[in-house]
Amino acid sequence: MITTATKGRAAAPRRTTWRSGKAHRGSAALLMILPAIVGIALFQYYPVIVAAVHSLQAFDPFTHEAVGFTGLDNYSRMFSSEDFQAALKNTVLYVMSSMLIEIPVSLALAVFIDQHLPGTRFVRVSVIATLAASETVAAIVWAQLYNPDQGLFNGLLSVFGVPPQDFLNSGSQALVSVVLMSSWKSIGIPTLIFLTGLQAIPKDYYEAASIDGASGFRQFRSVTLPLLRGSGTVVLFMATLQSTRIFVPIVLMTQGGPDGATRNLVFYSYEQAFQFNSRGVGSAAAIFMLLFLGAIIAVQFKLLGRRYDA
Amino acid sequence: MTHNAAPIDSIERGSSSGRRKTGRPAGADPALPSADGDLPRASRSRRIRPGRILVACGMVIVGLAFAFPILWMTLTAFKSTEAFLSETYPLSWKSFLPSQPTVDNFRSIFGAFGFEWNLINTAIVSAGQIVGSMVVCSLAGYAFALKEFRFRRALFAFCMIPAFLPAEALIVPLYDVVKSLGLVSTYLGLFLPFICNPFGILLMRQAFREVPRSIFEAAEMDGASEARMFLSIGLPGVKPALATLALLQFIWSWSSFFWPLVAMQDPAKQVAQVGMANFATAANTPLYGEVFAAATVLTVPVVALSIVLQRYYVKGMVSSSGR
Repeated sequence: MITTATKGRAAAPRRTTWRSGKAHRGSAALLMILPAIVGIALFQYYPVIVAAVHSLQAFDPFTHEAVGFTGLDNYSRMFSSEDFQAALKNTVLYVMSSMLIEIPVSLALAVFIDQHLPGTRFVRVSVIATLAASETVAAIVWAQLYNPDQGLFNGLLSVFGVPPQDFLNSGSQALVSVVLMSSWKSIGIPTLIFLTGLQAIPKDYYEAASIDGASGFRQFRSVTLPLLRGSGTVVLFMATLQSTRIFVPIVLMTQGGPDGATRNLVFYSYEQAFQFNSRGVGSAAAIFMLLFLGAIIAVQFKLLGRRYDA
Repeated sequence: MTHNAAPIDSIERGSSSGRRKTGRPAGADPALPSADGDLPRASRSRRIRPGRILVACGMVIVGLAFAFPILWMTLTAFKSTEAFLSETYPLSWKSFLPSQPTVDNFRSIFGAFGFEWNLINTAIVSAGQIVGSMVVCSLAGYAFALKEFRFRRALFAFCMIPAFLPAEALIVPLYDVVKSLGLVSTYLGLFLPFICNPFGILLMRQAFREVPRSIFEAAEMDGASEARMFLSIGLPGVKPALATLALLQFIWSWSSFFWPLVAMQDPAKQVAQVGMANFATAANTPLYGEVFAAATVLTVPVVALSIVLQRYYVKGMVSSSGR
């Protein structure tokens, strides 16, 4: 196609401007996006369709072959399962506790890093290091730190006279322990987003505020926070996506336990498909998770009234 | 002098250490001028505030808290499994530092366990993912940024929406897709699904938008072909974005764990993250020494790289979040 275009031009040199020759330029453009479109259709959308179809089918538990459509049977089995209900509740807990930890901490980190105080470079480098470490490494190392018998966290707590805790083995502490590890691992992204937002605030605003006699805290409240609204929205979306998708730490640290205390929707879906051989229910859970995430994000869009990407 | 020397001295010492860290040129010794009451200029212009020093100490503690698991992991890699199990608890200096440093763990993973092959496999998969994604994303980013064509907005949205899909929940159907393509247990199957990345396309589109259009217009006047414009004007203009994309894809593919666990069933071709996790799950007692050594080998180079290439890394992380 390109060769014919070149030949045509060689035969009769045209006066061209950028917008002219839209037709053949357009087809060149389509050729250029084709690999991306095909790849995304095949590896991103098609699995969703496969999951949707599988969620309506029954499977032979031994051969894993589909044996026919069963309507919404998988969904009704899923909704009536106590494991699923607990997983849904846990997913909400993961999202809320991640927000409570990540948003204030990342905002504080960003504000301090932005001050260029002594020591802030070190904080910045540390935060970037946590981002670069893999989730797998993080989960395995933290599992050792949390170890109730020989873990370092219990050693550190003993200095303050706190008796040894069970962390990942405790029904009440396991979920928070996973969230802490996961927040440590991913705090860098919200921090960097807030930092970019902070650096975009003109310094004159602060000068004007301090001439008017505003204290440091007042400046933060009346100048910084309102102007970080945009960054805050993005951070909210990011934290929602990240915390609903927590998976590798659960696989490596708790296997959903103890007694289902850390099982979330993703892990439920994986467990159903891989361990309980019920692919239909696993797919139904994946589709539910998709709709659930879509609903949360839609609500956030509506409440915050901002477009994600214009 | 004697009755007020102590407070001045302590404030001065604190502020001088603070200033040293901010890179103030050395020279003025803060302790001396206070004797004749003539403070050095820097001290006068920047008032001494004990609060600043407190914040600095706080910052170091916060930084250490974040870096701690990585530092501890690296130090523990030089402990034998027995030492790790017996010395971590109760708390003593041995909980943090190896009492008898040894490189046996590294010798073990690279000798008996062939971890270097896992690393080579990871390198192959990473290389494929980086190159593939640079080609696909830069082509698409170029077209979305600079070309007019039908359904451009719709097609762009089509490429962006998957950023919201929970990939972890779709591993099973993705496995079905890759299996039907006959790519299970191949290197290609490990990286092909991830080269068409919404973030990469977005990143490249933003970068091509920032290249001045007049350059393209001039080239088109001169009769440059589309391929030539892309290769010799477009790509050189977006080198930083390409570097960012390469770095992000490297870190993503290097870190990837669950997909290779599912899609690579040939142990000889398994990647290093899974190899490391196997040290933790294999055998009756986890091989802690090997686990920490492998984790260190996997982490230290990537952390170093992302710190050295901070500029690209931060830019990529922020733009991959959709801004």
